[in-house]
Amino acid sequence: MVFRFRIPSHWRAKPFRYRLIVYRCEDCGMVHQYPAIICRKCRSTRLRHTQLPQTAKLLSFTVVRQAPVGFEELAPYIVGVVEFEDGTRLVTQLTDCEPEELKIGMEVEAVVRKITQDGPSGLIIYGFKFRPRIV
Amino acid sequence: MTQVFAKGVGLVKVEEHWDKNIEYLMTKAAIEALKELRIEKIDAIYIGNVGAETLQYQSQLGALAAEQLGLIGIPSIRVESADSSGAAALREAYMAIASGILKTALVIGVEKLSDGLPEEFVSLTSMFDKYEYTGYQGLTQTSLAALLYQHYLVRYEIPQDYVAQFPVIMHENASTAPHAQYQFKISIDNVMNSPIVSEPLRRLECTAVADGAAAIVLCSRDALEKIGRDGAVEVAAVSMSTDFVSPFDREDPLKLGAVSLAFNDSLTRAKMTRKEIKIIELHDSYSILAPLILESLGFSQEGKAGIDVKKGKYSLSGELPINTFGGLKARGHPFGATGVYQVAELYLQLTGLAGKNQVDGAKAGLAISLGGLGSTAISTIMRTG
Ligand SMILES: [Zn+2]
Repeated sequence: MVFRFRIPSHWRAKPFRYRLIVYRCEDCGMVHQYPAIICRKCRSTRLRHTQLPQTAKLLSFTVVRQAPVGFEELAPYIVGVVEFEDGTRLVTQLTDCEPEELKIGMEVEAVVRKITQDGPSGLIIYGFKFRPRIV
Repeated sequence: MTQVFAKGVGLVKVEEHWDKNIEYLMTKAAIEALKELRIEKIDAIYIGNVGAETLQYQSQLGALAAEQLGLIGIPSIRVESADSSGAAALREAYMAIASGILKTALVIGVEKLSDGLPEEFVSLTSMFDKYEYTGYQGLTQTSLAALLYQHYLVRYEIPQDYVAQFPVIMHENASTAPHAQYQFKISIDNVMNSPIVSEPLRRLECTAVADGAAAIVLCSRDALEKIGRDGAVEVAAVSMSTDFVSPFDREDPLKLGAVSLAFNDSLTRAKMTRKEIKIIELHDSYSILAPLILESLGFSQEGKAGIDVKKGKYSLSGELPINTFGGLKARGHPFGATGVYQVAELYLQLTGLAGKNQVDGAKAGLAISLGGLGSTAISTIMRTG
């Protein structure tokens, strides 16, 4: 369990993790977080590269206290599910707030933050997180 | 297709077996399952396990088990589908016998979680979801279960203690189960006052680190005639289904589609109706999964399983007892072994060997095993032959 973050794997994932680039099915609307050849819901091959909106609504949230490897020092942290206008859901960390400030149904917006670091000389992983929308 | 029977089970007490390795645990369960059978030949071994590469740096459990049992030469393979691996191994053995290719098979579920550090245990469960999507962000199985739980409480507007009642009955059942990890009762106040793990999930609504091994011997009708029909239970169907791996990718995250599909398929194959099911062993790795499963099976209405459990419907003395030896919560949840424990427990019930936990008069039972939060579901129906 030492080498958790592989360089090629994070490199491949950057469009999604940095910019919320996903692959949407033009026939049924299903979103794929990473490049797909065929729609996992309707089997259409008409998948279009698109960016998810920067704002969404908070559907559910909780706090991680028992952290996995690599997140021990970050715990406790907030994670949740956000829902975009079209019904697409995304699980994400929530940041720049305390759990008491969150309410189901509130508007949240995407930011890019440090996710974790593989030890003092390892890879630093960045990616999206959501925070309460600053009006 | 030939009928398939279970004859002989072995259950190692679930606990943290610091002094025993994975080979020892699986051998102990297998020897116990085989000990009273006059079987000339085991045709194959199927092993359910999920964490051996990660926690023991050990692959190829198949050959390892054959060697440990002194059965070198026979085919032996490990099957993985997260924490439904044990049931998946059972299904492979069932299909091989039903097809006529094998006459007898030994199924072993084994898991040794206590070798890992606490954060490694958490990371192992993160692999049950899509790692490049959820795991890399620090999302864990427990937090995803908590998100489903919160969503459930909000949608159905029910108080948490309705769901938290499930661990109470699990511990009640485990208090008299010799192979259970936690042989003591707890109250609803104990559950609701236990520390929060991930809102709203509390400590006593989750499972803990456990080691265990369970084994069961399956055979064809022909083989059964030779070894004797006494104490045999028919494996009427073992059906499997899958769903989107990550629960919030599903159209309705509170519906376990794989559970409904697998259950309906197993009823069709067994030519049975749901009313004939008198016991259910279900996959309560988190309290919230018990109502989600019961509602997806159709034994409770949506949002109502908590009310049914409060009324006693699912207690040992109730209309439809569940988890008669404590389920995952209190018998314990050694991941890849769990699916085999469930079916072995149905075997004990249907052969009258359930001791203080005996449910009288049951002729058919159902086991539902999940991989992760319903990405895989395996439905096994056992009935008295
Ligand atoms: Zn589609």
